[in-house]
Amino acid sequence: MLQPVELANFFTVFFSAAMVILFGALYALLFAWSRVSRRPWLMPWAYAAYAGLAASVLVLGRAANLFDGGLWTVVISLMLIGYLLAPHGVWHLCVGTHAHTGPGDT
Amino acid sequence: MTAAKLYWWASESFWKKMAIWITAASAVVLIFLTFDTVAKITAGSKRVPAYSVINHRIDYVFDEKRNHQVPVIGPEEPLFGRKLSEEEAAALVSKGKLTVQAKNCMNCHTLLGNGAYYAPDLTKAWLDPAWGSKEVREQLMVDFLIDPSDKLHNVLGRRMPKLGITEEEAHAVVAFLKWMSAIDTNGFPANFKPIEQSDTPAAANVSSAPAASQAAGAAPESTPVQ
Amino acid sequence: MATLGVLDSANLNGGQKLAVKYFTVAIALFGAQVLFGLLAGLQYLYPDFLYGVLDFSVNRMLHINAMVVWLLFGFIGAAYWLLEDEAGVPVVGLALGNLIFWVLTLAVTVVVLVYLLVQVGPGEIKSIWLINEGREYIEAPRWADIGIVVAVLVFFYNVAATFMKGRFTGIGGVLVLDLVALAGLYLAGMWYTPNVSMDQYWWWWVIHLWVEATWEVLVGCLLAYGLMKTLGVSRRIVETWLYIEVALLFGSGILGLGHHYFWIGTPEYWLAIGGFFSALEPIPLVAMVVHAVFDAGHHKLKSTNNPALAWMIAQAFGNFFGAGVWGFMHTLPQINLYTHGTQWTASHGHLAFFGAYATIVIAFVYLAVQKWRGNVWMSGEVVGSWRWKWAIFLLHVGIIGMTMALLIAGYEQSQIERAIEGSTWMGYFAAQAHPWFQQGMVWRMITGWIFAAGFLLLAWDLLTIGSRESRPARRLEPQEAMAAG
Repeated sequence: MLQPVELANFFTVFFSAAMVILFGALYALLFAWSRVSRRPWLMPWAYAAYAGLAASVLVLGRAANLFDGGLWTVVISLMLIGYLLAPHGVWHLCVGTHAHTGPGDT
Repeated sequence: MTAAKLYWWASESFWKKMAIWITAASAVVLIFLTFDTVAKITAGSKRVPAYSVINHRIDYVFDEKRNHQVPVIGPEEPLFGRKLSEEEAAALVSKGKLTVQAKNCMNCHTLLGNGAYYAPDLTKAWLDPAWGSKEVREQLMVDFLIDPSDKLHNVLGRRMPKLGITEEEAHAVVAFLKWMSAIDTNGFPANFKPIEQSDTPAAANVSSAPAASQAAGAAPESTPVQ
Repeated sequence: MATLGVLDSANLNGGQKLAVKYFTVAIALFGAQVLFGLLAGLQYLYPDFLYGVLDFSVNRMLHINAMVVWLLFGFIGAAYWLLEDEAGVPVVGLALGNLIFWVLTLAVTVVVLVYLLVQVGPGEIKSIWLINEGREYIEAPRWADIGIVVAVLVFFYNVAATFMKGRFTGIGGVLVLDLVALAGLYLAGMWYTPNVSMDQYWWWWVIHLWVEATWEVLVGCLLAYGLMKTLGVSRRIVETWLYIEVALLFGSGILGLGHHYFWIGTPEYWLAIGGFFSALEPIPLVAMVVHAVFDAGHHKLKSTNNPALAWMIAQAFGNFFGAGVWGFMHTLPQINLYTHGTQWTASHGHLAFFGAYATIVIAFVYLAVQKWRGNVWMSGEVVGSWRWKWAIFLLHVGIIGMTMALLIAGYEQSQIERAIEGSTWMGYFAAQAHPWFQQGMVWRMITGWIFAAGFLLLAWDLLTIGSRESRPARRLEPQEAMAAG
């Protein structure tokens, strides 16, 4: 059920895993910044960061042997979807919870 | 202050309930899994063998189906030449575990990969090829534990200190290490090269039933050539 | 009110007087952690250094135990700090709380002296009761375990009874429930078994469910209070977010326990559970990024206490990199098979513990010092502000440097010791002798000294900041919901 990482892929795994999180943060940052400061031109950059994240996830999936068609492929898919939607969801929550003062109503 | 629409999904009370339900649900799942896991790692189970497994040869062999190495319980090979009952074996391993705790082994070594990183992992120490041959291994381990400070196995100037381990405690620690090497750790450590243990072609006569409690009586009587 | 800038306990309420005692011991123990870390680090370079006197095992045990205890003291202090303010009434049973502080401090002293002077015992159950339990992080002998549980129960009584008498805020409610879990989980580590798999199964309940669940939530409570105090964020928002955080942290953290159950004899389904939750664990961190940006766009970051705010920001980054990036790099079982039990873990541990926990306790100590000196000015251009800025800089250079050095050592170890040599005794030493490892240990030492310098500067600053200020603290613009609650 597990196919351990090949020695030659160690660096790829570490690097792509780190990039998943860093691109994830960058995407979230640009996404939120674009909305909060009303700079729509930043949004394509946010999605560019997400594209970086998606590429990193796919590289990680290959290097860590996650495309086995089973559970690990599900994990990969959930990561792709989860990281895409999380900033949207959290943004809505921010606007919702700050309803009295938020930019949503000014 | 504008009275903006407050959505139910952004309200304090909704998230309070969510926090409680998510925590409770996770805790319930964990408790169920714990019941299952505890049963599967109780000594005498398939994954964690009974203490009397120290009466047998233990090997670590690649399993095609599981795609990693697994411990294999071999023919009878009592520790220090004395076959122990289940109670005696349990008492000896327990003494070893107590010694491992009282001597603070875990703050230099790792056990099952957990601990400190100043000295080698002990998960498969019993099977380590550094002990030379299986005939001398037991005594070398005992001698080492009693006074390791001047022994060859120390490398890079790092010496294990003399911790006041008695001969009785040293025997017990070796028993603990032998028993620990029989735990099914899902293939950790990977690619481990165990000490040469096969003695004759008869070694092919290896029982792969890991449950030592059953194996204790039914083990093949292959006599070691010596 | 006493003169501005002078340490005077008249400036503090009852709970806060007790809190500053806890903070004082916490910072002293932080110093002990640094000291024993330096000694242990030196032994990698000079194995004969203190050999047979204070062996690596003793220094390493004190290094990690001092950390657990100083953070715990910091958390307890921080909780007493906000207690009266939150509940609106004086602490119930404060005398008992004070007594327990002295008992706990005395007990810690005795445990440390036994670690230093007795070190090890015979392989009998009495050694576990009196000297050393020999289980990483929870080495404290059993008598001390019982003492810790009693102390935490008294602390719990103080907190719960005070909130019951006063008002039960959202922060108060989460805090009280979290403390029940904190005390209860400790019991899971208080029994002996010869079965090492069973031992480690329950041991992780204490370690993981403390560090990656209940401590995180405790910090969430402290941060919520801290943000209200330093930035004047409204209570309704802060508490809603605290609940969201609890849901995310416990939702990912409780079953995240699985990533410790890959290789200790536990069944194979933990590989799937651990891998799954590990992959999703960074999502809460991403959520925090969005929220932080949203908040920064709202509040102009005018704070009443710049050092405290700086340390809270450091917490956000430290948590993100230490737990998020460093955690995810080696958490999937496919790679953890090779990184488990190497300096990878040490690298991750250094950055995550400092980033997620040390930072927040330090922030609280800065809040405490400010009030202790009569709510003195601590915003921009506080007299002698170079000290806190340099302290934060040196501590971060030190911790990041150590993390990187250990990372390089661990990377090499995972390849040579684990993957190629298969973790044999000789494989272990082949990896330890490799230049990447050896040089990694040198750099860890150099950056360790930088960290130590940062600690000394921090201690000096905590003792003196505000002492030459005559301005009162900045007043925040009144916010909508300061009174709500």
